[in-house]
Amino acid sequence: MTSSGFPGCQSAPAVPAHMAKSMSLLWGAGSPPCWRVMITLEEKRLQGYKRKLLSFQKGEHKSQEVLEVNPRGQLPAFRHGDVVVNESTAACLYLENRFQSQGNRLIPDSPAEQALVFQRMMEGLTLTDRLNSVIYYDLLVPEEERHDSALKRSKETLSTELQLWEGYLQNVAAGSYLAGPFSLADVVVYPNVAFAFRFGLSAGRFPKLAKYYSLLKERPSIKASWPPQWMSSRQGYDVLKDL
Amino acid sequence: MAKDMTLLWGSGSPPCWRVQIALEEKNLQGYNQKLLSFEKGEHKSKEVLEINPRGQLPAFKHKNIIVNESCGACFYLENQFKSQGNQLIPEGAAEVGLMYQRIFEGQILGQKIADVVRYTKKVPEAERHDSAVKRNREALKQEIQTWDGYLKGSDGYLSGKSFSLADVIVYPVVAFFFRLGANESHYPNLAAYYNKLKVRPSIKKTWPQYWLEAPGQEQLKDL
Repeated sequence: MTSSGFPGCQSAPAVPAHMAKSMSLLWGAGSPPCWRVMITLEEKRLQGYKRKLLSFQKGEHKSQEVLEVNPRGQLPAFRHGDVVVNESTAACLYLENRFQSQGNRLIPDSPAEQALVFQRMMEGLTLTDRLNSVIYYDLLVPEEERHDSALKRSKETLSTELQLWEGYLQNVAAGSYLAGPFSLADVVVYPNVAFAFRFGLSAGRFPKLAKYYSLLKERPSIKASWPPQWMSSRQGYDVLKDL
Repeated sequence: MAKDMTLLWGSGSPPCWRVQIALEEKNLQGYNQKLLSFEKGEHKSKEVLEINPRGQLPAFKHKNIIVNESCGACFYLENQFKSQGNQLIPEGAAEVGLMYQRIFEGQILGQKIADVVRYTKKVPEAERHDSAVKRNREALKQEIQTWDGYLKGSDGYLSGKSFSLADVIVYPVVAFFFRLGANESHYPNLAAYYNKLKVRPSIKKTWPQYWLEAPGQEQLKDL
């Protein structure tokens, strides 16, 4: 946030510090939805927001502090001044709506590109559900209701879904992502893709997804918000390794 | 403009209905449309797969631009036709934030309804449990009570004082909920919302035809 040369003469639009300071994010590490919001805040040059890392394991997402922002007791819980926007994709859309001309444009104007951004963004929620059905199977389904056949079916559904995304990324290259230049579609979907590889997805069987994953790993907004404990331990889990 | 648009849809499907409401709100009547039958499996036909490889409805096309995913189509229509018809994204920050939040909470509501009413379709017999059925009903009950709370003392619409994309996207789910036999007296604020918007032109015009002709189901009457 610096100005150059004479007072009143700025080479790039400065982002008023107070804008980000009136924002706060309650988040949990390794949660793709939380990550989406953090990527968006970086992309819109809203660094400097207040944030608090909470522990899912300790049940802190059900604490009074969270419930006051998000009665559902879920993270991310995002506040901008008096405005609360829970649901990660909602918070991302809100930020793009309010800060459209600041930082990177995340929704293009051109009809064809815009249509694809919106479609892939919403499809990203299907990908999220199908990933969660496998990765969180034991959390979502009480022990006495679990069936190998059910988990098997969820894995097959997920595999089909991932192959669809592998197809969407046939021409992936630097600057050419889910809908062309980096967009809200990537903000929503990338954390899921990173999540999938963290849980053992085979780069050999999903080479385009792997390329997408490694290209965007270097993007400043993604690098800056990379889940901390993923850096500290190399080994994740391997529930997706046979997909 | 509308003549360059095509909508493949199925009757009584909240996602399809959303797009129809959005098209009306944006004064885009006159679009090409084709009613398909889920029961006959027409959503998996070549005609649909050519637009939507997922074999799902709605499948929407504007010239050669495809936007599947109902919410995606609604966002696209509001963005591309901002200055036409009714404004569906409010001006104020608080309303915009609330609108987007309700839109995505609406997905949760739809999912919880589906978990109850589509249980036997989705879960093979060998995997079914009474405990799961009970849990799904409880979860839906809690969810719908949350929505009833959202509409208590509200200005009439989901995001505040004016009709917005949140209503376009969530109203069909609410209407579907009552169509499944839910008791209006159990959820008075939600019922008031449901009945108030019933007569909005875009909603009245696109009301699922067979809901007018045949009685609804009763799966949710005791909820």
